[in-house]
Amino acid sequence: MTRLLDVENLTLQFDTDEGRITAVDDVSFTLEAGEVMGLVGESGSGKSVTAKSVMKLNPSNAIYGDKTKIMLHLESGSIDIMSLKSSKDLQVVRGGAISLIFQEPMASFAPAITIGNQMVEQLMIHTSMNSKQAQEFSIEMLDRVGISDASTRFKQYAFELSGGMRQRAMIAMALSTKPKLLIADEPTTALDVTIQAQVIDLMKDLVKEFGMGIIFITHDLGVIAQTADKVAVMYLGRLVEQGAVRDVIRNPAHPYTKGLLAALPSLDDLDTPLTPIPGDIPSPLERPPGCVFNTRCSANLGARCSSEIPGFSPVSDSHTVACHLYNEEGAK
Amino acid sequence: MTDQTNTPSAADQKLKEAYFTASQNQLIWQRFKKNKSALAGAWVLIFLVLSGIFAPFLTPYDPTIAGRDKDYLNGAPQIPSFCDDNGCSMRPFIYTTERTRSIKTNFRWVTETDTSLEGRRYVEFFTEGSSYKYFGITFDTHLFGVDKGMIHIFGTDSTGKDIYSRTLTAINTSMAVGTIGVFIAFVLALAIGGVAGYYGGWIDSALQMITDTVRTIPSIPLFMALAAFIPDVWSAEMRFFFISMVLGLIGWPTLARRIRTHLLTERNQEYVLAAQLCGATPRHVIRRHLLPSFTSYIIVDLVISFPYMVLSETALSFIGLGLKDPVNSLGVMLQNVTSADVLLNYQWYFIPVIFFIILVLAFVFVGDGLRDAADPYSDHK
Amino acid sequence: MSDDVLIRARDLSVHYPLSGGGLFGPKPVVKAVEGVNLDIAKGSFFGLVGESGSGKTTLGRACLKAAPITRGTVQYTDDEVDYQLTTIDKVQLKDYRSRSQLIFQDPYAALSPRMTVRDIIAEPLEVMGLTKSREETDERVREIAEKCRLNLEHLRRFPHAFSGGQRQRISIARALVSKPHFVVADESVAALDVSIQADVLNLLKEIQQEMGLTFLFISHDLSVVAHVCDHVAVMYLGRLVETAPTRELFNAPRHPYTKALLSAIPSLDPDDAGKAQKLEGEIPSPTNPPPGCKFQTRCPFAIDICRVDEPKLEHSSSGHEVACHRWQELMD
Repeated sequence: MTRLLDVENLTLQFDTDEGRITAVDDVSFTLEAGEVMGLVGESGSGKSVTAKSVMKLNPSNAIYGDKTKIMLHLESGSIDIMSLKSSKDLQVVRGGAISLIFQEPMASFAPAITIGNQMVEQLMIHTSMNSKQAQEFSIEMLDRVGISDASTRFKQYAFELSGGMRQRAMIAMALSTKPKLLIADEPTTALDVTIQAQVIDLMKDLVKEFGMGIIFITHDLGVIAQTADKVAVMYLGRLVEQGAVRDVIRNPAHPYTKGLLAALPSLDDLDTPLTPIPGDIPSPLERPPGCVFNTRCSANLGARCSSEIPGFSPVSDSHTVACHLYNEEGAK
Repeated sequence: MTDQTNTPSAADQKLKEAYFTASQNQLIWQRFKKNKSALAGAWVLIFLVLSGIFAPFLTPYDPTIAGRDKDYLNGAPQIPSFCDDNGCSMRPFIYTTERTRSIKTNFRWVTETDTSLEGRRYVEFFTEGSSYKYFGITFDTHLFGVDKGMIHIFGTDSTGKDIYSRTLTAINTSMAVGTIGVFIAFVLALAIGGVAGYYGGWIDSALQMITDTVRTIPSIPLFMALAAFIPDVWSAEMRFFFISMVLGLIGWPTLARRIRTHLLTERNQEYVLAAQLCGATPRHVIRRHLLPSFTSYIIVDLVISFPYMVLSETALSFIGLGLKDPVNSLGVMLQNVTSADVLLNYQWYFIPVIFFIILVLAFVFVGDGLRDAADPYSDHK
Repeated sequence: MSDDVLIRARDLSVHYPLSGGGLFGPKPVVKAVEGVNLDIAKGSFFGLVGESGSGKTTLGRACLKAAPITRGTVQYTDDEVDYQLTTIDKVQLKDYRSRSQLIFQDPYAALSPRMTVRDIIAEPLEVMGLTKSREETDERVREIAEKCRLNLEHLRRFPHAFSGGQRQRISIARALVSKPHFVVADESVAALDVSIQADVLNLLKEIQQEMGLTFLFISHDLSVVAHVCDHVAVMYLGRLVETAPTRELFNAPRHPYTKALLSAIPSLDPDDAGKAQKLEGEIPSPTNPPPGCKFQTRCPFAIDICRVDEPKLEHSSSGHEVACHRWQELMD
């Protein structure tokens, strides 16, 4: 597998009326081509912001850290995303090499333009197709994602399609430029569970066929377990645990990940009571010092956890965790 | 790495608590204050409004024919200076001007300026002048005047009326017309838009049809028709009230539509449903939920309607269908501005226009600032 | 006619007229809820699940008389009163309002931003005239706020000061302050983070036991329902398709839709891909339902009779009812 994306020390802060808010704090991860990485977290975790940073899609009051480095490795060469300043430079990356799918498909389709026209427009910007070729290709893509009667749907508006179909159309649109990296931001959250299952299957098939890398953002660990190869767990802007999906879900190391899994109502075990993680997620304006999770952690070691930010320690070959419990040699 | 010294100090805690216990209106005010241009606009507005209210005190002369300067027709602005060839003085002064004609000037009237030391006329403050009344009490002090003759810092018009005095009183008149117009429009809009928004259904459809019909009537021909009906025998004051009323009667549909939309949105809020599920009477819903939500939006709408009223009145008066002398507004002042003579020679006639541009802009900035501050979406999550 | 049924619905139908339609023909309607028979036992935590267009929210509201009942009956019986919701008068309705309440889904929309928390919680008391003095109101507000684990200091704050989970607790406090017997919780945890969801669910169960309430818990999330409810009903396109005690429904579902719904939930076990069948096709629009059994367009077991004849709820075992022509044959 070839390396597709390298994200190093991604730090992002927003300048707002209430002060400088840290949304993402020193996050690093890699992605190979053909790999699906799940980015999991709750509100305020910074997962959406992290993914959008790869395309530099954050609002203008976003301030990146000095050491932030994002490298996208394409066949034509490697691109340093941080160095792309003008929107013209970024246009190559956005929609071309990298595509983005949103949670709310109604929000990403312009309501007054037909689906077909939007797909064609995108193709004509990013490829050398002419309008007729783009139209044929788009209809093909719509068919490929399982939309029946694709040539009719091509001429319809977003509101004429159901939620599941809109999401598929969005996937078709995102994939029509044959991106190397697909960022899916909560693509199935707004869908009914039976439709969600279909869309997940579709994405798995497409990954196999196109060999793209996918960053799959969600709060739903079940979806990750079914679609991702590896998972990264975020809390309040920091990456707390990373690893192969089997390892992290079967053998969670970080107290937050453990808490998250314990709080999930699972159909497999109806007898165990639901155990929430005590306390509330702190507001990004009040990030705790030291380890961001220390205020709610049942395994809080005291002074160390509330003053020192833990670095990454290995749990196994492909599984790392940022927790003081694992820092000492032989501890836990 | 990020700064992690986040132990909240007592001052921080107090600020946070203040934020948590701040009501919606307080939050809106906070947001408004942060908007520099809106705040600047607000100050300018307050300044201009006060100038208008205190115009009789701030201006040296009566703006009507009664206060004209027969010796200084179409006179250029007289800017006081402190120094000239004859030396400097602590007090600002202007020069004596005199209209003469003689053989030398081919019997044309010319204005001669006497720039000698004797020709100086010193500006004095808190002088006595024509009297004016506030709440029945007569005053006659004016902010400034001149020891001999008259001073015209913005110049005079063709009959010798001081443009500076007229400008400030014009601001006052236009604001008064705007206030009455907005008030009438508001009362009508509240009644019609309120009923439509609250009841919905067919009542709403019917009222909407009426509102839209009135809105589509082209305003200028309507103004002209109504204004043409004004009998000549009416006094200037009656004319003033009538014009204000007409503006209100034409302006209510836009406001009504906004009120209706606010009410419709508010009525469908979940917390209103929650109250209704407890058996809340319509009175309770209106009092507890609809009216409070309403006030912040309506203030915005009212502020934004103001400049439209002022400009409509200006337009009407300019074409001669609105106010007339002695009632004085910007439109009235601009009535005589269209001749080539004025455009070429007496450019100071346009000084009031600058004031009005600033006034309208101030309203717009404040209105926009209020609207941004009251925006519900910036409050969410 | 057992004594301990609190809500008894028979042939409950809620139809909404559609705009348009001919002046001369019958006006088209949306059958949001059609022919529902339901028994909610006193003191139970009754779950109602379904996807979009299932009519579950409308059914919940109909039980509160907050949706117009087109046909059928809803009977409310507690120790003191017995109301037939379709025929009650104004006085009785006012009384019913103090016995039944609704908890909303969106914690951000359900609280008026202009009222303090104390006022929000006190509003039902004031509207219903349940207290005689301000002190008494304050006392009751404090009492319920404590039960809902709200900090009493926070009562003078405004909603914008609180997180989603806290707001939902305020919502719950408001619903419970009038000491109702029957509470409808409409997707009350859907908008919350997973770690907070568990907390709110535990709170609801605790309060239910303490105050002896009967809950109608509406949700699209089967896993959540499985953990907190003792009895579950499944809806599809306005019809009740299956109802059973929780354990039985999840261990031995009989309706093809229930089976598909259960298998569509992504499992936390990465190796456990797709137990039973995944559904194809879209959920039909409620404005244009298919003839016969509403599920036949997506049902892998549909036969001729399904396309013509709408199945009625049949008794399968104790407390377990199914509406399917073939449930017996399809039993595993």
